[in-house]
Amino acid sequence: MAIKNVVSVMAPPDPHFVGDGFRVHNFIPQGSRTGMYRMDPFIMLDYNSAHYFEPSATPRGVGVHPHRGFETVTIAYKGSVAHHDSSGGGGVIREGDVQWMTAASGVLHKEYHEEQFSKEGGWFQMVQLWVNLPAKDKMSAPKYQSITKDQIPRVPLPDGNGEVAVIAGSYMDSKGAADTFTPVHLYNTFLHKGGRADFSFPVSYNTALLVVEGSIVVNDAETVATDHFVLFGNAGEDFHITASEDAVVLIMSGEPIKENIVAHGPFVMNNQQEILQAFDDYNQGKFGYLEDQV
Amino acid sequence: MNSSNLKTFLTSNVDMDEQIIREHIENLKKIQVKKGNFLLRQGDVCKHSFFVEEGLLKYYSIDEKGKQHILQFAPEGWFVVDRESAFFNQPSQYFIEALEDSVVTMIDVDMFASLSLHNQSFALFNNKLLHNHIRHLQNRINLLLSATAEERYLDFIRIYPDLLLRVPQTLVASYLGITPESLSRVRKDLATKKHQKQ
Repeated sequence: MAIKNVVSVMAPPDPHFVGDGFRVHNFIPQGSRTGMYRMDPFIMLDYNSAHYFEPSATPRGVGVHPHRGFETVTIAYKGSVAHHDSSGGGGVIREGDVQWMTAASGVLHKEYHEEQFSKEGGWFQMVQLWVNLPAKDKMSAPKYQSITKDQIPRVPLPDGNGEVAVIAGSYMDSKGAADTFTPVHLYNTFLHKGGRADFSFPVSYNTALLVVEGSIVVNDAETVATDHFVLFGNAGEDFHITASEDAVVLIMSGEPIKENIVAHGPFVMNNQQEILQAFDDYNQGKFGYLEDQV
Repeated sequence: MNSSNLKTFLTSNVDMDEQIIREHIENLKKIQVKKGNFLLRQGDVCKHSFFVEEGLLKYYSIDEKGKQHILQFAPEGWFVVDRESAFFNQPSQYFIEALEDSVVTMIDVDMFASLSLHNQSFALFNNKLLHNHIRHLQNRINLLLSATAEERYLDFIRIYPDLLLRVPQTLVASYLGITPESLSRVRKDLATKKHQKQ
């Protein structure tokens, strides 16, 4: 099997705030400067690198906003987030949890630091990934997969060198916790210093990783520091990572959907007409209603 | 900044030599305005018409109690100018402020007059723009005098389909001349009605 090569190692771009609660580096599509097609079906990745938030009586976050046409995947590494949506759903995403929200035909939601976390302040580290939906599923019913830490299968690595938590897809025959519409592999890899993990994905799959903690070496050649993002090429299938120190690495690989992408703010559709329709539906209240107050 | 929406706007709407348009546009100053910065303040004399290439401006007054009243939002492709100040040389009663980081082309108020003198089709087009503007203002006066909050809201989303996602609802309420609570109620009622239909 041929080696999947590293195309680029990206330092975190300058952060910006989403609302007042998420201080994020955008790796996809801005950071890679290649638009939403390069990592299709992963069309957006915002990374809140570890950031200390002072205690606040009013929870920080993002007020009511809509989404249509894709899925949002929130992965909590540090801190916790409370969320509510227009269908009456809500919950708290805590350390190690993953929330996989299929916005599809449309939801209104809001995300804030969880109340207790907000009062006490603390370290906050999250990933929000947008996974595109194929045209046939864009207008399907919205749904949630609230996946707690203990529901995510963990595959031990040889010699007790760490483990791979399979959020979606599969690793070494272990199936991930989340259901997906198209083939997507998403793992959190926990490595002890010196530990090694091997991965293999089809040539055509778009593949990347993000070093959330520690530092690693990819294919015995590229050293990658904390908060750096690695984009892989589309030749070869296999790569491996070795931890230079204890490390946590998010691995993503997915089959490209290969459809037209037209994105405007919180809507990702296949053409301009559908975007205008999304604005109209939102304005007309077809996404439902949600109070802005926490 | 290499492309100009103003040039595209003019070339696609006016039947005149692109060369003439280019000559007039080329010398115009295009500026970047950071969110929260002003293009016009109360008491200043307005010297330009502003064409929004990118971003979003608000045109508003502040009353004695400090309350803000929004006359107009100007997203991409819109013009905004205080005509009383610019064409009658009066100190302005209004403010023009960037709601987002914006790129704005500053059009000398004499430019449209001079283009109109040279070119009949531009004169006709400029006239049409003015009539359209007056029509818009007339409709706005009528809605403020006679329409319900819901009717005003429905008119707002027709004119500004994407603004609800770009500005806080308090500003939308200010534009509509209703309280933020009324706006919230209107949106809730609409959403409820839609749900009942389904």
